[in-house]
Amino acid sequence: MRGTLIIFRRELAGLFAAPLAWILLFVSLLLNGYLFSLVLSQTQGDATASLEFVFGGNFFFWALMLVLSPLLAMRLLTEEAANGTLEYLRTAPVSDAAVVTGKFLAGTAFMATLWSSLLIYAAALSLWGVEPDWGQVITIYLGAVLSSALFVAIGLVACSLTDIPLLAAFLAFMACLLWVMMPALGGMLLVQMRVLFADLFGGFEVAEAWIGGALERMDVRRHFGNSYFQGVLDSAEVIFFFTWIGLFLFLTTRSLEARRWRG
Amino acid sequence: MIEVSHLTRRFGSLVAVDDVSFSLEPGEVVGFLGPNGAGKTTSMRILTGYLAATSADVLRVAGYDVLRDSLKVRQNIGYLPESVPLYKEMRVEEMMAFQGRLHGMGRKQLMGRVPEVLERVGVLDRKRQLVGHLSRGLRQRVGLAVALLPNPKVLILDEPTSGLDPLQRAEVRTLIRELAGEHTVLLSSHILAEVESMSDRVIILREGRVVADGAREELIATLGGRGHVRLEAVVGDAEAARDLLATLPGVEDVQITERVGIHDGFTLSGSGDLREDVGALAAMKGWALRELSEVRPTLESLFASLVVGDGSIAPAPRSAPAPAPVSLSVEPIVLDGISGMGLDLMPLAPAVEAPSLGTPGQKDNFYSLNPFDGGGSRDLSKPVGSGDTQDEGCEDEEDEA
Repeated sequence: MRGTLIIFRRELAGLFAAPLAWILLFVSLLLNGYLFSLVLSQTQGDATASLEFVFGGNFFFWALMLVLSPLLAMRLLTEEAANGTLEYLRTAPVSDAAVVTGKFLAGTAFMATLWSSLLIYAAALSLWGVEPDWGQVITIYLGAVLSSALFVAIGLVACSLTDIPLLAAFLAFMACLLWVMMPALGGMLLVQMRVLFADLFGGFEVAEAWIGGALERMDVRRHFGNSYFQGVLDSAEVIFFFTWIGLFLFLTTRSLEARRWRG
Repeated sequence: MIEVSHLTRRFGSLVAVDDVSFSLEPGEVVGFLGPNGAGKTTSMRILTGYLAATSADVLRVAGYDVLRDSLKVRQNIGYLPESVPLYKEMRVEEMMAFQGRLHGMGRKQLMGRVPEVLERVGVLDRKRQLVGHLSRGLRQRVGLAVALLPNPKVLILDEPTSGLDPLQRAEVRTLIRELAGEHTVLLSSHILAEVESMSDRVIILREGRVVADGAREELIATLGGRGHVRLEAVVGDAEAARDLLATLPGVEDVQITERVGIHDGFTLSGSGDLREDVGALAAMKGWALRELSEVRPTLESLFASLVVGDGSIAPAPRSAPAPAPVSLSVEPIVLDGISGMGLDLMPLAPAVEAPSLGTPGQKDNFYSLNPFDGGGSRDLSKPVGSGDTQDEGCEDEEDEA
């Protein structure tokens, strides 16, 4: 735990020491701010609708998450491996799990800072006399942070597989994209399979329903939309994110440990 | 302090470290020496826990098993990889504080220890500077400071002087020598002079195997065999001089090498230092000495023959006073035959001797200083200082003048 916190602090400081982080933050805030003001003016000051649109209700929200999280993972893991500082960390008296967790927390904290614009906009609206639904604002913020954390964790797994930064960023992006697209892609695949196998196997409908249900349960956007976006903090939705994040961090740790053998 | 027995590490079909065994006593400074790809870095990485061994009977550092108690091992080592991995965006003191915190040092402890270590490596005045703004040499020193900060029992330094200029190298060498006794130091280099100047004991690696392990003199004695004494003098009758030399105590064999001008060359082998007796005989017989030296195989030549796999030893002359240490040249050269292996060595004795200036040409009994026989010359049948020396060349010049 001590090692995790030490690494978390260093990684976060390291992220903010690089100009890239500030550029990403600037561009993201500019984009979000512009969208927010645009929607706010179009809806004649509907605070809830504006906040909902900017944070979860539009394409850019997910696009930002899908682009930034892999980049962060690449910066946290692959760049360090390329610079040699990962060798320094992995010969320091801290476990690989502490290294991975510390880095993950730093990446998540960065994304939490990025999404904090939601809280700033809500506070600004409140100052101007339009009181937003604070419960919903908080749950949307939590959902955004948890979704980003999941993508950072997926990115870390992908980045632990290679020491080439560009390849790592690409792999991480593809892995995150696949995770988001999986329910849709799975659905399409099931339709194709139904055409091919429905006549051959009697129980195909049952299998189709089971696989479809499983894929649906892995849908991040659905989990975000059905709970956090609505202002509901459901323990099942929290467990969903924590479980997958835990699994991906475990896989990253194992992948790093495998490097000791792989070289 | 470090125990390694039958350590092997494979990368697929490549055997990077092949059945390596060695041990280091507390306070010992030992140098890993070998060309690039000999397995130095891999061995060190295994000792730090960064890489796992494919197989090893014993692998212990500071009393802990590297595989089972990896964290304990890492608590007791200071490791400086060749690339000197430091966070460029951090200030020197921040980097030190980070290292200290990783090793469980408290704020008070850090406040006392950080300036002490920075002072020791000579970068205290740079503590507020960003690591990324430091020169290679300064970064190397900061890397060393980072490794030293937790006062580890074992220091593992991979190529600690690589990329440094000669002055910086000398400083780092001095620093590492000072660490002997306080820490057990295992360092590596592919430059023999570097390893020799920093460590008392050398482990020579070749293609993942230990080919030699011991102190410098031990290695020379066990691998290089005995040396010989070289004599060059004006002796008149070389055959008679050889017979006379053979009667000296301790002399086992005398060989006439070559005649250069008026000087006859001899090689004497035997037990003990023969130079005193040979010198005394020369003085008694009135031989004009041009050279009396002990020629011993150097570690450089042994190293070259070991890593290249060639059994031939190229001897290099040692200066006449026997106890004088072998001087180490600062500038290494790359030997023919082993270039391309990244193997830098000290200069060796030239394989082919330069042609002598004293070529007598057609005049068998005259020694000429002039390659065109126009210089000073003298009768070779008489010893030096007999007063019969002619200097025709000089006379000619005077006449011309």
